[in-house]
Amino acid sequence: MSISPATLRLRTALFWALPVLACALPLATNPYTQFVLNSMLISTLLTLGFNMVIGSLGQLAFANVAFFGLGAYASVIAMNALGLPWLATIPLSGLVGAAGGFLASAVALRGIRLYYLAIVTLAFGELLRWLYIHADGLTGGTDGLALPRETFLGFRLGDDTAQFYVFLAVTVVLVKGTLNLLRSRLGRSIIAVRENEIATASLGIPTARVIVTAFMWSGFLVGVAGALFAAHIGRVFPESFGLTQLIVGFAMVLVGGTGSVLGSVLGAVLLTALPEYVRAFPGMEEIFFGLVVIVVLLCLPQGLASLLRRLSPVFLERHFRE
Amino acid sequence: MLMQLTLSGASQGAIYALVALSLTVVYRSTTVVNFGHGDLVMSGAFVAYVLVVGLGLAFLPAAVIAVVAMFGLGVCFSRALIRPIRGGPHIGFALMSIALGYTLRGIARTVWGREVLPMPRVFDIDPIFLGDVVLTGDALFTIATVAVLLALFFALLAFTDVGKMVQAVYQSERGARLVGINVSRFHDLSWGTGAALGAVGGILIAPVSFLHPDLGASFLIKGFAAMTLGGFGSLGGAVLGGVVLGLAEQYAGAYIDTALIDITAYLLIILVLLVRPRGLFGRKAVVKV
Repeated sequence: MSISPATLRLRTALFWALPVLACALPLATNPYTQFVLNSMLISTLLTLGFNMVIGSLGQLAFANVAFFGLGAYASVIAMNALGLPWLATIPLSGLVGAAGGFLASAVALRGIRLYYLAIVTLAFGELLRWLYIHADGLTGGTDGLALPRETFLGFRLGDDTAQFYVFLAVTVVLVKGTLNLLRSRLGRSIIAVRENEIATASLGIPTARVIVTAFMWSGFLVGVAGALFAAHIGRVFPESFGLTQLIVGFAMVLVGGTGSVLGSVLGAVLLTALPEYVRAFPGMEEIFFGLVVIVVLLCLPQGLASLLRRLSPVFLERHFRE
Repeated sequence: MLMQLTLSGASQGAIYALVALSLTVVYRSTTVVNFGHGDLVMSGAFVAYVLVVGLGLAFLPAAVIAVVAMFGLGVCFSRALIRPIRGGPHIGFALMSIALGYTLRGIARTVWGREVLPMPRVFDIDPIFLGDVVLTGDALFTIATVAVLLALFFALLAFTDVGKMVQAVYQSERGARLVGINVSRFHDLSWGTGAALGAVGGILIAPVSFLHPDLGASFLIKGFAAMTLGGFGSLGGAVLGGVVLGLAEQYAGAYIDTALIDITAYLLIILVLLVRPRGLFGRKAVVKV
């Protein structure tokens, strides 16, 4: 299906209009909604990272939760130990996450796939969490680590509004980067590997390199999300990176649409906002996420992005076969 | 000292073996790895707890009712939620089972909040002293129950028509369909059996440890570790892996460092993966193009 130039222009306009409009949001928020908005941006990066491996590459990697934690801890430790400013730790955390992704891809390339990969990465993530608790000299143990207070260009680091603009800029850049990656030859190869790895290899595409790329980019996104998360909460705890993050991330990927960038954003925004209404009751959040995943799997396996695609070609992502 | 550790390791290991076996039952017959399994184990324990503490039933009838209830839940889950997505990608199964587990955990938390519940002691017999080894009623009962259950289970597989049917489906689903086995129903019953066996594990652990809604996650990983060690999809391997894991935890905790008890399972998974990815009894997967 071809897209007319007018539709393309409209899409580009839409893509850039959203963040520009979002810049005005802090004018109309109270501290609480500002906090939730910031959470949405972090969730967007997390979901993008999850979706890269789960949706685009079609592998079950549970380690992403672990890289999220790694990124957060790397950011705080770099600030405390090396005295780096927080902004400088963002790319650093991304690189730490990417290194984790590289490790996970090495496991995947040993022929350990799907469920087995999930189990191994699950074990790895839990092992890391145990390390956060027991290496208390470095990580503060169960009490976690507080961020140092610093100011940047006159903003205090803990100021949610100032953080919002940083988060927004980072998120927009990485969403655009992910879109570009998926439209590139390499990104197409990721989709091809998901569809049929053997056929892809027989076309002369270096599948190993493709898998490593997908894992590393996923790790990078999640690592960056970790650095943002550390500043957002102001403290990192081992508990924040447990298995709960996993179902939340999965639900966001699924509700938005697996393998869809637009879906990652949609899912993250929606599923960050909705649970705020059920948070008052213990256990409600778990039931909510569980039921959302079940209903979406049964009724709308392609997620919300597929609904939008049906409405208008503006939302058609080019790495989709329609 | 060594004997004592072996005993407690064996009684822990017996429970891990049950959990790993129940995971394998579902995996072998439906090729679905149930990521919500830990929460099924937890739910079984909770149902038994409610019947004992809330309704004042005796332990045994409560346990039987809980196991039957979990069997029903497993069958319903398979029919209502797994069958519709049967044709879809594997990731769908994983997500579905995670979602089920998460929902169960949420329900448990809604009812109990975050408190930790002690189950009344069941086997309050005086511990038996053999030399310097203490035999507690709980450990004896756990090991005996699991041994009997496993003997029954494997006898069923080895000597009955049911076992032949199971073998047939394991060998070839299409072939089993052709000779008139209702494979869909077999899948449902496998889910039920898996859930029930897992529930037995939960019920056995309940009197010995505290119950809380997040109990499931650790059981899941221990079950996985046992499966990985024994070889994915091998029934006997799962049992052996479970016992070995239980023993390894106790020994590592006593002779190296108590903090290791928590991570023995994770280390085992990673170690097996590095040394021999198919485990002790696993078969090498052959990819047909």
